[in-house]
Amino acid sequence: MTNARTSLAAAALLCIVVAPLAAQPSAERPPPRTPDGKVSLDGIWVATGAIMLFEGQEAFAAARAADEAAGRPPGNTGETPPYKPEAEARRQYYLERQGLDDPMARCLLTGVPRINFRPLPFEIVQLPDRVIMLYEIHHAFRIIPTDGRPHPEDAEPSYLGESVGRWEGDTLVVDVRHFNDDTWLTGVGTIHTEDLRVTERYTRDSYDTIRYEVTMEDPNVLTRPWTIRETFRLRPDERIREYECIESNEDLLRFERLLEGHATREAP
Amino acid sequence: MHRFAVLLVLAAGVFETRFASAHHSFAAVFDGEQALTLTGEVVGIEWTNPHFHFSIDVKDEAGSVTRWRFEGYPPNMLVRQGWRRDVTLTPGATVTVEGWAAREEPNLGAARWVTFADGRKLAAGPPAGTGGR
Repeated sequence: MTNARTSLAAAALLCIVVAPLAAQPSAERPPPRTPDGKVSLDGIWVATGAIMLFEGQEAFAAARAADEAAGRPPGNTGETPPYKPEAEARRQYYLERQGLDDPMARCLLTGVPRINFRPLPFEIVQLPDRVIMLYEIHHAFRIIPTDGRPHPEDAEPSYLGESVGRWEGDTLVVDVRHFNDDTWLTGVGTIHTEDLRVTERYTRDSYDTIRYEVTMEDPNVLTRPWTIRETFRLRPDERIREYECIESNEDLLRFERLLEGHATREAP
Repeated sequence: MHRFAVLLVLAAGVFETRFASAHHSFAAVFDGEQALTLTGEVVGIEWTNPHFHFSIDVKDEAGSVTRWRFEGYPPNMLVRQGWRRDVTLTPGATVTVEGWAAREEPNLGAARWVTFADGRKLAAGPPAGTGGR
């Protein structure tokens, strides 16, 4: 009898606790928290631009409308990157060549932040001392320590750089350094040098969304720090699949042929 | 005219990150101005990364056949759009492909949509203008 009463009470309590959560639209659900009290970034996410490919124009428009209503900035404002004249000339050169020189087309690892804007999902696994990002594109990953350790002393320049994170309230701030210069920042021709420093800010502002703000600093090519934004959307029914780039990459040969046929001017 | 040019630049910027391609700039190979719709018999399927390819034989009114090869999404994205390897697209099937022609390579296209004999229509590749300018 006591057991039955306890079960009944537990069930009633469960209803009280769970029912409002279930009834609440997920957009109004608060972001979940980890046992240590931090907002959890756990989940499979995709940049808003990818919604166009995953679900079509209507869903994309709805996502953007939801962002606007929530005061989230659009992912791209059409702003021209603040390049110094020589670097801008180089960007224009790559644009004229229609992106034939894109390192990504050669299946090289896509750098930060560009990897976050690809139209393929990535999973965030948040642990007490580090955050792990698992990207479908290239099956790439980042391990971001958040235990207070500094950047490694022996870091060599790399495609994804070396990431070190820290929490500022509910925002994960990631400082990325030690890049090579074989990646583009966002779009065609957005070059950088090995002096690039990237600061990313991930804020899960609702159950379904992460506000992403990234600032790129490279005094060799940029006139000032360049900040862009994006909203990542939770994809609860998604799983990270395999995306292998080299297998049948005809573009290597095709681009070589096209480049030969392009009697373009010398790179500035 | 000036306003039109500004709009074009804006559109290019918007396409860049929002409708980003997974692999390369659309414009590097294809011409978004050269839309095409072709119906033909499937003669080959390559279910590979970073793009899948398939070929169709297109017969003109005089009966002569031209083989067209199309590029589309990689398998991970095709599966998300409802495709299954060896099931969805099979040799001998007649399909209608909507897409765009390559800028330089003859009889090569980017597939956006494939419509099957039963009327089903599946996305086969990204929209024009993705991944760059």
